[in-house]
Amino acid sequence: MAAPVLSRVRSLTGVSGERAGLLSLVLTGVALLAVGARWVSGPISLLVLVLAALVVVGWITLALLGSPETKRALAPYGLLKPGSMWLAIFYLAPLWTLLRSSLSSKESRFDVFPTFSWEFANYGKAFTDFGPQFARAFLYAGTATLFTILIGYPIAYVIAFRGGKYRNILLGLVVIPFFTSYLIRTIAWTSILADSGPAVDVLNALQLTGPLEALNIMDNGKLINTPAAVIGGLTYNFLPFMILPIYVSLEKIDVRLVDAAQDLYSSASRAFRQIVLPLSIPGVFAGTLLTFIPAAGDFVNAQFLGNPNTTMIGNSIQDQFLRQNNYPVASAMSFVLMAIITVLVIVYSRFFGTDDLA
Amino acid sequence: MNAPKRGFSRRELLIRSGVLGAAGLSLPAILAACGGDDGESGGGGGSLLIENWPEYIDLTEGDVLGTIDRFIAASGVAATYSEAYNDNLEYFAKIQPLLGTGKTIEPDIIMPTQWMAGRLRNLGWLEKLPLDKVPNAKNLEDAFKNPPSDPTGEFSLPWQSGIAGIAYNVEATGRELKSMADLFDPAFKGKIGMLTEMRDTVGLLLLGLGVNPSEISSFDQAAGAFEQLEKAKADGQIRAFTGNDYIDDLSLGNFAACIGWSGDVLQLGNDNPNVKFIVPEEGATLWWDTMVVPKGAKNVEAAAKFMDFVYDPVQAAQITAFVQYISPVKGVRDEVAKIDAALADNPLLFPDDETKKRFFPFADLSEDVEAQFEEAFSAIIGA
Repeated sequence: MAAPVLSRVRSLTGVSGERAGLLSLVLTGVALLAVGARWVSGPISLLVLVLAALVVVGWITLALLGSPETKRALAPYGLLKPGSMWLAIFYLAPLWTLLRSSLSSKESRFDVFPTFSWEFANYGKAFTDFGPQFARAFLYAGTATLFTILIGYPIAYVIAFRGGKYRNILLGLVVIPFFTSYLIRTIAWTSILADSGPAVDVLNALQLTGPLEALNIMDNGKLINTPAAVIGGLTYNFLPFMILPIYVSLEKIDVRLVDAAQDLYSSASRAFRQIVLPLSIPGVFAGTLLTFIPAAGDFVNAQFLGNPNTTMIGNSIQDQFLRQNNYPVASAMSFVLMAIITVLVIVYSRFFGTDDLA
Repeated sequence: MNAPKRGFSRRELLIRSGVLGAAGLSLPAILAACGGDDGESGGGGGSLLIENWPEYIDLTEGDVLGTIDRFIAASGVAATYSEAYNDNLEYFAKIQPLLGTGKTIEPDIIMPTQWMAGRLRNLGWLEKLPLDKVPNAKNLEDAFKNPPSDPTGEFSLPWQSGIAGIAYNVEATGRELKSMADLFDPAFKGKIGMLTEMRDTVGLLLLGLGVNPSEISSFDQAAGAFEQLEKAKADGQIRAFTGNDYIDDLSLGNFAACIGWSGDVLQLGNDNPNVKFIVPEEGATLWWDTMVVPKGAKNVEAAAKFMDFVYDPVQAAQITAFVQYISPVKGVRDEVAKIDAALADNPLLFPDDETKKRFFPFADLSEDVEAQFEEAFSAIIGA
């Protein structure tokens, strides 16, 4: 009974298997986005979901019954499907809601749902009222990223080239801090750096407070609640994200390349500069992204280790969302943050990015 | 020790918890003990969920029952007590999507500060209290009757009251403090803490500037306080704006001085004699937290039973002896005297009329003015 239908489908998709795959991918994505972003609601959203499910079932049927060529054409779209559906409902839909909310206004502060009104003033407010917080976020995150490279690169180098049989143990040590919650680790620093805490006592005993004050690391006898403490906290918390990718790219390097360079009378430092460093740049690039992006949006370090003059944009967004109920401006701030990070990352990858970034 | 043991004061608790700690019992165990059963009703009295600020009630300690457990024993209500209320604005942001769309929230009693209770009442998010089932409500101190936030007194009953004043660590300051001007002493640069609770911080600054915070009705009248705050922040005088956690900074000595809440600091002072609390010579701000029932709460009857229970002076005294705030319940002083005579003479717990004149509640602001205040304040504290 079904045979003629199946052969028809088969002949149809035999020609355009790729197109059918792409179509099903787009259809399910758009359907989930439409439901997630509330473009449709009530019974229609149910209908749309059923439609999406049918498309998936249809795709599976085609893949099962199709010719080997059809299967081969459909396979990549099938592999992309779980990821694209996940992104549609948990990334694109919220992003759409955020965008809409960033252009909305509230009649009363106590309105639950802002009304969409092309309120571009929210973006103006995000810039004018929170300029310093944006600037600090990128300054602190950038400085912290630089420090993680300076600290992390040598560590990764030693583990990769001198670790020997202890490599795995050393890598384990790098990861061990993650066994404790991020929040707890940050709060722990508040007691270590407290005014009457061990760190200040040691620095006092060593008479180092003077030079540290001159370097702006200490401020009026304080180690904590200073910009240096915030940057230090960011550096500490994100260091493993720098070490691990650098380690991976260093570990792949064939040491015989260095030997060959030295056979050709290269000095050790020149061999490092011309062979090891360029080959490890993809790791530094990946580490920078993994460090800088979350650090720029971080609010934990500034909250616990900073003072009222060191707040970062993450703190402001959190305050606008969770205390002031100002969803429109908070959404606009989130969008501006995303936009700036995107631009910075694009520019950065133009200069440093490599094609073989793993 | 001839009188039957009625309870214990904060001081005794600390001694006890020290002993218990040594015996391997930790604070979580003590806290867990105060939680009571959840879910199943114990004895047909229904259930009840209370959400209150941290460290704001006496806990069960060994054979001495805390208020919640005494209430469970006396009423048969399976009461659950949670310390989920940490900050007025945060809590509001949390409940707004539910109450604002006609849904209800889980707790049957929450304890917003008086001005927030007023906001919730204005928005129609509160149930009227079944006061006919709370006979002890007659014990409410006259000063708390019919405040502007609840003119008919039908929506809220005060839980505890207190003042915001100056708390300081004399080891860190090296001298006694007496006025608001001391907080701006350059010697304490970077060692001053202020509260994220706008009315307390701005109220005290206003008092320092000679403006009565009870008589504020527009932003302009308070502009001076905001300028002063902005400048102190820019100068690095202020180390942090905090909620309840100022206590840690104060006892560690990170804060030489800060704006603090009377009961907290009195409790801490028992641990650490260097920590002191004063009413600045210009005066202090008076606030109170209130018990309210959110719209649509399931266990209004049980909530009424609880309110009646804690408005019995004998029970209220147990709470007062522990939290060391000002009780809104008449007759508590005599009962506290039976537990800890020194406490009954403390003017911060039982202010005389002369002292009361130095306490100023923050004015009831109109919604627009309040929005202006909150926006300006949030811009300065820079969170």
